[in-house]
Order: sequence, then structure tokens, then C-alpha cells
Amino acid sequence: MRALIVDDSAVMRKVIERALRQAGLDLSEVLHASNGEEALEILRTEAGSSLRLDIIFSDINMPVMDGIQFLKQRKAEGLAEGVPAVMITTEGSKAFVMDAIAADAKGFICKPFTGDQVKERVLPLLRSA
Amino acid sequence: MSESMVALKSLSAEDFLSAKNMERVDDTVAEVFSMMLGFDVESIPAAVPTANPGEMNERTAIVGFSGSMRGSCEVRVDFLAAKDICVAMIGDASAEEEDSISDALGELCNMLAGGWKNRLPSFSAECSLSPPTVISGRDYRVHMSTPSVRLVRTYRFGEHTFHLTLHQEDPITA
Repeated sequence: MRALIVDDSAVMRKVIERALRQAGLDLSEVLHASNGEEALEILRTEAGSSLRLDIIFSDINMPVMDGIQFLKQRKAEGLAEGVPAVMITTEGSKAFVMDAIAADAKGFICKPFTGDQVKERVLPLLRSA
Repeated sequence: MSESMVALKSLSAEDFLSAKNMERVDDTVAEVFSMMLGFDVESIPAAVPTANPGEMNERTAIVGFSGSMRGSCEVRVDFLAAKDICVAMIGDASAEEEDSISDALGELCNMLAGGWKNRLPSFSAECSLSPPTVISGRDYRVHMSTPSVRLVRTYRFGEHTFHLTLHQEDPITA
């Protein structure tokens, strides 16, 4: 399984990767980006390869390009179509959730989180992808 | 009426300093430390410094609030505590690197600020968080440029002490 993790905190990207491994997900490769722009670059490069991403995790509040703008731009460019995106953030308000859903987010995990919570949210998305 | 049904869009100074708010802060700290670090925390009276404060190398992370409340959430620990927080958070060799230690403390502060405001749903929707800023150094103080009230809590986790301060600028007086 291949995953893309987008977060401006390198520590949080490691925390998320560790939670995914603890949740029992068989990760063959994890790509890291520190903002939406970097993530779009990765997806544009991926578009020309035969490898397929299985899931994307993204923070919302990030410098350069935030998580909502990233998802909107991904959709506009038709990048990684069908790959579920899960938002991981401290912003748990309804307005943020609605924005994320409108930008095509398929899941939402509020920090702090446990490995079990990650598993609960992610496994159904992987099954239906 | 449950707290989630209270249409609390702003906090008065009285609400901010209330026992109920203190309980929200304590619950948030316990939740974040338990879920993200695997530590139990205990609220303790404000700590008596164990060393000459001028000699202590401290880390302070600050996250600002804007919107329905202006202010900040500030966490302060000594360097060894900051390092142990980072090790508990990511659990690999890079946890001892300076950048990782500051990054982890900033993320911890972000989760504490977010966790506290998310306990006040109506208020939370109108209040945004700034990215964390981390300061390292010795014997410094954080000053607010406008009148503010402060809620200060001190906790023990493992062998360490952890200080959390919520500042509210221009509080509404009841």
C-alpha cells in the first residue's frame, strides 16, 4: 500500500505514519509533503508513473497552500482520481468539516487520535476505493 | 442543558477563569498526553522552581487564537521534558534532534489549544488557531500588549513539570 502524508510538521507526518503502521496497514511506501503545493507536485509526477497511491492524509492549516486548497486543486486537475483523502487536523468545527467534504475529503480525523481511531476511519475507505 | 447545546460564542473573563473552564483545560491536557504520548498527567500546584530560573534552558510553544477570542495558548517545559515529549511522540532516533524537539512541542501546543476550543463547539466555530511558534532560551517572559486575563495550570508527567497558560486579550467583563 502507498500513502501520501501532507503536513507542515515533520513530527506529525511521522506520528501519522507510525499510527498507520500500528493500525496494521501494510505500507510499502509513504510519500511526504510539507504543504499543498508540494503534494500537488508529487501527484503530478505520480500521474506519469505506473504506481498508484492508495490513500492521502492531509492537514488543513498549512503555509503556502492549505489542505482544502490542495484538495480543490487536485480535483480541478484530475490528479489521483478515486484515491480517498482523509483530513487530519485539530480544527474539528462543523465549518471545517463541511469545507473539507466540499473539497472531496472522504474522511476526517481530529487530533489527538489513537491508532484504533485511524484504523476505524481508514479501513472502510480502502475497502471501498 | 449539555455543554454542547450552550450557544457560547464568546467567553467572559468570569467564564474564562471559572472552575468549569479549568476542568476543560485539565481534561484536554489529560486526553492529549494520554492519546499522543502515553503519559498520565497530574495537576499540581504551581511549581516551585527546582533550579535557578536563569540557568534553566526552557522551551515555550505558543499558538494564537483569533476570531471570537483573541489570545494565546502557551506551553512551557524545560529542555529535558521537551525531549521526552518528542521521543514519546515519534519514538525514533530523530526525536533527539533540535528541530524535531521544537516541532513536537509546537504540535503538542496546537493539539492542546484545539482540544480546549473544541470543547466549546459554538465558540470553536468562530475561533481560529495560528501556526505554533516555539521559543527556546533562558529567563524570558511573554508579554501581552493589551489587557488580558491568564489561566495558569501546572502538571506533572513522568519526572517532568509542564506549565500551560491560556491568555485572553480584551476579556468581556460580565
